[in-house]
Amino acid sequence: MTTNPTVTTSGRTVPAGRTAPRRRNKNSMNGLPWILPAFIFVVGLIYYSVGYTLYISTLDWDGLSPKAEAVGLGNYTAMLADPIFWAALRHTALFWVVTFGLQTILGFTLAAIMHSNVKFPTLHKVIIFIPTVLAPATMAPVFRLFFADDGMLNSMLKGVGLDSLAHPWLADASTALPAVMLITVWQWTGLWFILYYAAMGQIEPELLEAARLDRAGNLRTLWYIVWPGCKGATVSLAMLSFIGALKTFDVPYLVTTGGPYHSTEFLGTYIYRQGIRQAHIGYAAAISVVLLVLAITGAIIIGRANRKKVGE
Amino acid sequence: MFETRHLRSKVILQLVLALMTIPFLLPLIEMVRGAFAGRGIYNFVVVWQTGVVPTFFKNSIILSASVIALVYVGAMTAAFGFSKLRVFGKEIYFWLMLVALTLPEVILLSPLFVTFTKLQLYDTLLAVILPLAALQLPFAVLLARSFYDGIPNELLDAARIDGANVPQMFRRVILPLTKPIASAIVVLTLINAWNSYLLPLVFLQNRSNQVVTLLPQFFIGEFSNDQTKILAAAVMTAIPTVLAYILMQKNFERGLAAGALK
Repeated sequence: MTTNPTVTTSGRTVPAGRTAPRRRNKNSMNGLPWILPAFIFVVGLIYYSVGYTLYISTLDWDGLSPKAEAVGLGNYTAMLADPIFWAALRHTALFWVVTFGLQTILGFTLAAIMHSNVKFPTLHKVIIFIPTVLAPATMAPVFRLFFADDGMLNSMLKGVGLDSLAHPWLADASTALPAVMLITVWQWTGLWFILYYAAMGQIEPELLEAARLDRAGNLRTLWYIVWPGCKGATVSLAMLSFIGALKTFDVPYLVTTGGPYHSTEFLGTYIYRQGIRQAHIGYAAAISVVLLVLAITGAIIIGRANRKKVGE
Repeated sequence: MFETRHLRSKVILQLVLALMTIPFLLPLIEMVRGAFAGRGIYNFVVVWQTGVVPTFFKNSIILSASVIALVYVGAMTAAFGFSKLRVFGKEIYFWLMLVALTLPEVILLSPLFVTFTKLQLYDTLLAVILPLAALQLPFAVLLARSFYDGIPNELLDAARIDGANVPQMFRRVILPLTKPIASAIVVLTLINAWNSYLLPLVFLQNRSNQVVTLLPQFFIGEFSNDQTKILAAAVMTAIPTVLAYILMQKNFERGLAAGALK
């Protein structure tokens, strides 16, 4: 619609800009020296580590002693028969679905409320976002207390007459994983909120006006106009929480140490337990390879999504 | 988004917001309450008197500053090359870097443990700085590159016609324009470096090398199960982060939001 003026201006400048430098200094426009430092650093360190991990995963080794026995795919067959490995995978998948779902519902609702006419928006935003900037390692002792037998959660439950629900949450294998999920939701909802808030700011006011004129109620407008308008943010956040679930380590390691009875074991905590604690470095490397394949699959999907965005 | 025409619906919306916000506050209240339990402010005095808190903070500052410097310099220069200069096989380099974007750091533990032990880097800050920077860089490059792509090439053409060489174009034309993305990268890297736990846990053994995320562990060892001292230490670690966020809300929110849109 408004392409006309740009065609004429670029039509005039582009040929001049293209021919002049090519003649004058062909080599000085070479970008290789500019990208090489970062490239060598990243690719060197990371590909070296990944290659080394692949190699270690075929060994029976403690990481320090000179004798390392080659076992071929032995670590991998052991892994497939290891119930804790499968439990860790299940926990990761469940963790992803539940935390993503809760964070999306909470973040979206909070953003919609804050886009309405409410008092003290900054105060609420700061309270919701502070958990996102705090280190999980700093908050871990707090949550151990919060969920403890004499902790805040139980005293609140007793306060409202729900004594029967009160118990040591982290010591019970059936409630430890939900507690770890809740801690994660507490931490990341702030980010979900910020992104949905920004996405809602991009929705054209005319669309909302039109819905109002059609006498669509608040909930109908939210569901048919606002939610589809935030689709981009939802897709990004789904990816982010997928990678986040794969990386999960700090909270389960520090709050429940993967227990009780491995009920909060994740791939990260299990690799750490096997590799660093029990010095089964080969076995830890084999699990790392599985984690790597999952993460790269994620990276490829994200790359695709990014490319689509650029193409649009 | 919610239309509130009547006072009643206004009050209800405000109440719903308050009810949804309070749970986020509870753990923070629990933290402060626990830290002052028993002997009150004396808990903080005892923690401070162990003398380790400044060391841990100093190490965290060195760690974060080094990672930020590496990531900033690497991302700004590489993104310039990727976005504005000629590189044969550019996209191959780019994709090789991007594969590292989602890499969980736990994968690096075994190979780096073995390698750093051999190189005598084990138990030095460098053993944490290098992998952290390498893990942060790909995403910073991606962010910076898409920002650079939005800078019109005509600006560079004009500078070139004025006789500027490539480093001059970078310094005088590009860098002044990149403040918004640079601040997002710095904040994102700062939070990730300051809050990093796994790499310091594995690679920093001596207490004179440890960083703030390892403080709670240290005090659990020091005071066995005296919760109040451990929580006092947690409060002391949290305060600078919370203050930094409150003073620079926009920067933190933008930085972390940029980090989410991988």
